[in-house]
Formats: sequence, structure tokens, C-alpha cells
Amino acid sequence: MSLVLHPIEKTMIKILKELPNLTPEEIAERSGLSIDQIRRGIEWLRLKNLAVVIESEKSFASLGKNGLSSIDEGLPERRLVQLIENQPVSFDELRKKLLDEINVAIANAKRNDWIAIQKGESSSMVSLKGKPEQTREEKLISIIGKNKIPLDMVQDRPALESLEKRPDYIIIETIKSKTVSLTDEAKIIDLDLIDSGAIDVAADAPVVFAARTHPLKDTISEIRETFVSLGFTEIMGDLAQPSFWNFDALFTPQDHPAREMQDTFYIKGKLAEKFATPSQIRQVSDSHRKGWRYDWNVDAAKKMVLRTHTTCVTIKYLAENKPEEARVFSLGRVFRNEKVSYKHLVEFNQVEGIVVGKNVSLRDLMGIQKEFYKKLGLAKIKFWPTFFPYTEPSLQTMVYNDKLEKWVELFGMGIFRPEVTRPFGITRPVLAWGGGIERIAMLKYGLDDVREFYNNNLGWLRNVPKCQ
Amino acid sequence: MPVVTLYLDRLQRLVGGKTNKGKILQVLPFLGLDIEEEQKDFVRVEYSPNRPDYATDVGIASGLQGLLGVKKGQVKMSIKKEKKKFLIKSDSSVKKIRPYISGVIARNGKLDDESIRQLIALQEDLHFGIGRRRKKASIGIHDLDSISSPLRYTAVSKDHEFVPLASTQSITVKEILEKTSTGQEYSHILGDSPRVPIILDAKNHTISFPPIINSALTTVSSGTKNILVEVTGIDKNAVDDSLSVVATTLQNMGFAISDVVIDAKNSSDVFKARTILIDPVLVNQILGLDLSIPKICDSLKKCRLDAVPRGKKILCSIPRFRFDILGEMDLVEEIALGHGIENLKPSLPPSISVGEKNNVTKKLDQITSVMIGLGFTEALNSSLTSKQILYDYTKRDSSEIIEVAESKSLEHTVLRDSILPGLLENLSKNIHESYPQKLFETGVVFTRGHPIDETIAISCVSAHKDANFTEIKSVLQSLLKTDSNIVCKTNSFAHPSFASGRTAEILVGGKPVGIVGEIDSQVIDNFKIRVPVSGFEIKLSGLIFD
Repeated sequence: MSLVLHPIEKTMIKILKELPNLTPEEIAERSGLSIDQIRRGIEWLRLKNLAVVIESEKSFASLGKNGLSSIDEGLPERRLVQLIENQPVSFDELRKKLLDEINVAIANAKRNDWIAIQKGESSSMVSLKGKPEQTREEKLISIIGKNKIPLDMVQDRPALESLEKRPDYIIIETIKSKTVSLTDEAKIIDLDLIDSGAIDVAADAPVVFAARTHPLKDTISEIRETFVSLGFTEIMGDLAQPSFWNFDALFTPQDHPAREMQDTFYIKGKLAEKFATPSQIRQVSDSHRKGWRYDWNVDAAKKMVLRTHTTCVTIKYLAENKPEEARVFSLGRVFRNEKVSYKHLVEFNQVEGIVVGKNVSLRDLMGIQKEFYKKLGLAKIKFWPTFFPYTEPSLQTMVYNDKLEKWVELFGMGIFRPEVTRPFGITRPVLAWGGGIERIAMLKYGLDDVREFYNNNLGWLRNVPKCQ
Repeated sequence: MPVVTLYLDRLQRLVGGKTNKGKILQVLPFLGLDIEEEQKDFVRVEYSPNRPDYATDVGIASGLQGLLGVKKGQVKMSIKKEKKKFLIKSDSSVKKIRPYISGVIARNGKLDDESIRQLIALQEDLHFGIGRRRKKASIGIHDLDSISSPLRYTAVSKDHEFVPLASTQSITVKEILEKTSTGQEYSHILGDSPRVPIILDAKNHTISFPPIINSALTTVSSGTKNILVEVTGIDKNAVDDSLSVVATTLQNMGFAISDVVIDAKNSSDVFKARTILIDPVLVNQILGLDLSIPKICDSLKKCRLDAVPRGKKILCSIPRFRFDILGEMDLVEEIALGHGIENLKPSLPPSISVGEKNNVTKKLDQITSVMIGLGFTEALNSSLTSKQILYDYTKRDSSEIIEVAESKSLEHTVLRDSILPGLLENLSKNIHESYPQKLFETGVVFTRGHPIDETIAISCVSAHKDANFTEIKSVLQSLLKTDSNIVCKTNSFAHPSFASGRTAEILVGGKPVGIVGEIDSQVIDNFKIRVPVSGFEIKLSGLIFD
């Protein structure tokens, strides 16, 4: 396989061939590339075994407080010679100008052989001797300037040592750093021979996000498709329903705890006008009077609620169509007045299917469940008895969850009570089953907080894989 | 749903026979009990509100005995005679307040702390369920030995005084209603009647103040041997049903049950079993089985009911406390349980039916795919939202607001009449995510009508530094054209959520169907969004589908 290098990599190899052992920052400075590009380049080179990163300590020299002020003002000895440039000056005069630096200035100027001192009457006179050239110390100060220079780049060690002896002139720091150098393999690469039109196809590319359907909608669609493939036709109904269809038609007594405001959303100040035929109302009223032995009140049936289940759509369909045979399902939002928590929402999706037929039985209902879950990829199921107010007998499906290693309760099912179907003239058994869709979606996406579906957190929406 | 803790040693002893704990754990779910928690010594199970007798381990043990075959058939109530009749006389003064009273006596039993705890749980379940939060029926359980017959059920003024349960001081009924927590919770049941029901004994001691609280005098403890149960209420059936569950449970706990004479009637007369005639043809049709009559009888007996063949049918006898059984279909379920749910093999009914999605769903799927193609990601918001998001932040007129009553969540009090505010809220929660951000949502919006009109709408937003009118109008045009070959016009329009001069009404065939434009800068500020946003909303009902 021929070697392909990204322009960043090429630039880096070129620099490191000349100067091994550079920090990423140093490479960035020399290459004119950003530090992020360099970091990416280092990773790529490492993966190709072309570079190694060594963690090392590196010492740097920079000027201290006095060193920095000497850049502009000059060293004390320089200032001294400037003062005597034109004529000799007395020691006392010089002390007034140079203050406590006088001794350092004199000592160094003498060492440089710049001055002569003659004893005078009251004070010694200091005079210039020859031409004071730039010293090695001064040269070093100008090289360092305001920068931090790697210690191994300082060539004039004696000058450095000399400056170090002066207080606050030189700061030596040791910094732990990562340095990069090329492997032997990289050192022999002839950059000119590398195909200049090729790019590094293994390198990371910028991230883009696909526009997409909502993950919960995907699960909803999958469940809808499953119903359709099992021969079921979709029916729809309103989200806001008269209590009559949400409760009364399903044989829920008017003083049942489920109908209280704590559990159900009633729409303020809204009553249904025409919600059922007089005969439907009479039959339901009779069923309640006989079954629950109380006086049924039509006003309670008029109160508008946000549907607590999709069963209201089912029963309305049955009442209006009185089918001899049917396979229909309804799917959509339902509402419960509950405190929102990791496992409860006030609004969630439910699906419900029914089969009406002459000879349909509880075993058929169980068979449909088996088929339904198999299509969703849930093969291990069993049935337990349970209680629902409007079905008898009632069962619930338990599905084995491999991730959680336990049986999880999913959809409920049953055969509509005669007290529910008889008032609407339905004589054949109605098999019904259904449940919350978010529960299934949570298992699918491995979520333990149901609120995530409605947070619309783009980080999640953009990144969660479609197939789980 | 209510939960009961079952100690396995205790339960095993109650079930008897040679049943091991493993078998018990295996069978519990087939009584309709969901195991919530399983520990070494105990399990916590959830039971259905239609079986209050499962609030106690003696009730559950009785059910287990049936399914395990240890004991089958009905548990008979055996009513003993009191040496001297125990009387309750009810006064006409209570007829208008809380007319019905009944009771039984339970003698020579032993109560431990666990039994007392379960009895209280049973009482609370009955209060909540068939008692309808104590309105229809409420139960008092008393230490019989501190009471002298006859009792008087009468109405007294609110100045009447006694020492209520868990107290040492005598206080008035008025104070109990106004100052104690149970008083405050249940006083509404008594309405505005100036007089309240009270049960007094022969020595004029107050026994109970139904449905609020018992007196301290008759407190039941683990030393109590003899018990009086009284039930009062406004619904005779609820009163008798409640009494039958408590009496059955006390008998299962080892007490001997005897009558209380209420206004010259024996209270236990109501415990007589009902009979329902059931047709094996219906049973086999519903269950998809071919069970013989003896088999069906045996299944019913395993559910602790009695059953005998009667010609081609079966006569089933149901104890009073099983008031969850309303008719034949309830018995079909009992037969399924007795036969064993695990013995029912799933079958598939022959089907030639062809399934189909609803037309609205199909159209929405299409629209969704076009929006995805245009680079918009789908969001999902609740239809129930807050006034703040729907109207305040978006500066919209809230005079047509549709509110729900007594929501438990402040964020969910108003039904949305527009989808756009929810999408703006989504943008506000995602300001740390990379831009451009393009979102859309389809769903139901609600408006006042007859009584509520529901229409399906679509809304979308585009948020990035260059978001503007032209960009979003392009999206709008493309959506309508690609999806339904609809051409729309946009005419200048004013809307409080949109920037003036950069907003238009969307017209299709001269009819307004929605709005498009750049979002008003103040609205963007209100949502704390940091980039320009443009968007549109269209009503699809009536445009794309009916």
C-alpha cells in the first residue's frame, strides 16, 4: 500500500526532519497551522507509526524583573559608561544617579576594562577608557527579550551563568511537555515522492448530522406497520372526548376513582353537546343501573376530558359500525393527570387493536400477541392474569428482556365485557389488547427516563442510532 | 395499585399441605398478583382493586390453596350464635345523613402486629374502592370487650364530645372536623348537616363517629381477642359488601363469626351465596377449548367457588365477598384461571383481512419524508403545555385559551392551539448545540368550537445566523409543491410572534392556511435564543386531507 499523507502531516514531517523533539505548540508556530490541526496531525502520524510522542521535561530561560527593565534601560555598567561618556564624573555624583547599583556598575565596568578610577581630593573621579562594545551578557538579554527560550537553544552558557548571578535577571523554568519526533521510518520518507493529489482517506472528517424522524416516531411507525401486516386497519378519533365515550360507554361507574380530577384531565368549562344517540345513551344508562346499582347522570357524561386511553375510539367505532367481523386498531396520544417523573408522562402514546368475529377466542387473542411480539423481535413471552375494568377475562403479556434479564409487563388484553358491548348491540366477542408505546421504545433505545422522548435534546436526536 | 407484603414462612403455614415456597412463588402471578419485589424471607405483590380480600395473606393463602389443589370449593361462612343477642338500634335521626349500618362479631381469635397491619390495609382499600373514599361505606373495627350491648346509632350535635382514636383528650365533634387531618379530609361527606352520626353503647360511651374516626376506648391491639366490626354508609350494597370481606377475612384469620342484630334483622343474612347458571358452550367458545362439564366444575372449585352440573349447564355458587363477579363472563375468567393460563395454548384465527393505514397517517408520513428531505429534523412536544410558552413568550393573544382543570404539573395546563411555540422552546433548550438547527413537528392543535375543534398542523423553524424570510419561504413552497403539487401565495401580514414587514399569510386558492416569516426579536429574546429564527405553521386538515 502506498503511503498517503495529509498536507498537515507533510508539513509536520518537514519541520520535524529539521528540528526533532518539538512541542505541539512549537510545531504550530513554525508551521503556521492551528494547534488543533497539529494535535490531529500528531494522532494521525502516531497511528501510522511515523511519529512518537515523548513526555519530557524541558527547561526554559526568560528574563526576570530586573532583566526586563534592562532591555530599555541597559545594564548598570552600561548606564555608568553613558554617564561618563563626555567627561570624568566623581564617584559621589555617580552614586546619586545609580543609587545602590553603583557597586555592581563599577565592578562590571572594571571587569570589562571600560573605566579608570583616579583618587581625587574629596571623591574619586571615574573616567572612560576605550570604546565600550556590546558585551555577551547584553547580547543574550536582547536575544531572550520578552520570550521564553528553551534552555538548549541558549548558546552562550557563560553569559547566562553570569546573568544568573545577578538578582532577578534570569528565570529558569522546567516545564513538563510532550515533544514529538519522527520514527526512523518517517525520517527516510521522501516527501517529494508522495503523491501530491492524494489525500489521507483514513483521517477524520468533520461531523454532519442527518435530518431524521424522531426516534419515538420510528417505534410508533414500526408498531403501526406491524398491525397493518397482521391485517388490521387503522381508525382514528379525537383526543378530547365526552366522558360518555371515555368512561360511561366502557362501563366505568360515574363515581369510580379513575374518573376523579386527580387522575383525569377535564377541560375547563367545556361540555359536549350532541355526543351519542338517545338510544345509545339509554342503553348505557341501563347497563350502569343494572350492573352498578346507582342512578346514572347524563350531565356527568357530557364533561369533556382528554382521552385516558384509545379504547374510547374503539368503542365508538363498534357502536357506529356494529361489525360482524373486524380487525381494526387505533394509535395515538392519551393523557393522565399524573406527576411527571422518569416513568410517568402526562401525555403518551397508546395503541389498541381489536378483533371481532364469530368464533374468536381467548387463545386466538394470545396467538395474535405472540405473532405481534415476534414481529417486533420479542420472541420470549408468557401470559399472566390481570384485571381491567372493561374486559373479562383479562390477561397481560410478560416479555423477557435480555438486557434487564427479567420479565417485563407489556400490553394488556382481554375480551370486552358484555356490559360494554351489549348496550351497543354487539353480540359477538370483541378481543382487545393494547398498551403504552413509550415502554417498548424505552426498551428499544435503552432509556431509563421516559421524559427523554419529549426533551427534544438535539444532542440525542442527532446521535442516537436508528437501529438498536 | 395496592401492594401487600407476604412473609413466606407465614404464607406457607397458612396454605398448609406439603407446599414448598418455590411452588408458592411460581403460582402467585396466576392469582393475578404481580411480584414487585422478591427477597429471601418475603415478597411484595401488587393486587387488583377488584380483589380487596387479597390485601391480607389469609385471603391470598385461600386463593393459593385452590390453585395448588390443597383445598377446593367455597370457604363457607359459619355463623355462630351469641349467647345473648348483640343489638344495634338505629335511630330515624340518621336516615337523612348516613342511613345504613351493619356489623358482625368475631370471637376467640388472636391478632399479631402483622395481622393488625393487614386488617388496616384491607379497611383502607375497602374505604377507597367500593366505599368511594368512605362516602358509600366506612368500616370501624373495635375491641368488643370494652363495649356493652345494645348500641345506638344516632345523630348528635357537633358539641358532642369524646376521646378519638390515638388521643387521650376528649374533644368535640366540631373540633375533630375542623382540626384533625382525617376530619378535614372527610368532613365533606357529612355535607352541611348540623347533626352528625354517632354510635353509642349501653353505657352511653361513644364507640365511633362514622365515617371520620373511632373512639380511643375501643382500640384494637395485639391483645384483642374479641372484635366488633361495624359498617355504616349511604349505599346498602356497599355496606354489606364491605362487611362480607372483613367477616370472611376475620374467619380466615381464625375468628368465630357471629351475628349482630340490627333493628331486629340478623346481619349475616346478607352473606348468603349467589348462584349463576353458566353455559359450558359459552365457556369453551370464549376460551377456545373443549372442556367437559366436570372439568369446568373442577376449575371453578380451584378458584374457591362451588359448582354442580345442572342439566347441560353448571350452577355456580359465589360467596358474598366475591362481588367482583358480575355475570357469566367473570366466571369464564375464573375457569381460565382454574384450568391454568399456562395450559392455554396460543392459536391464530384464520384471517383473510387486509390491513391498511389511515389516510391521515399516510399523508403525514409523506409530509414527514419531504421535510426530512428538506433537512429538517422531527421534534415531538406535548399537546398540553403552559400559558407562558404558548402565549406569554410568543406575545400571542390568550383570550381563546383552553385550560384543563387541576393539573398536577405546572408545565401542562393549556392545550396548544399552535405548534410553533413548542419548537421555539426546543431551540431555547439547545443553544449549546451546533447550528444550523432545523426542526419540524406535525400534530393536533386545539381551538374552541363544538365544543373543541381538533385540526392537524405542521410547523417548522430554521435557526442560524443567516435565517431569513426567503429561506423559509423556499422551504414552504417546496413542501407544498413536492407533497401535493400545491402552489401558495404569501401576502404581507401582521402577527405578534413574527417580525413586522417580514411576515406573510399563506394563501392557497385564496384561502388562508397559515403563516410564514421571521420570528420577532423580542420573542427570540424571551426564549433566550441567540440567532435569528424563521418559521411557518400551516393547518393541514382541509388542505392536504379532510
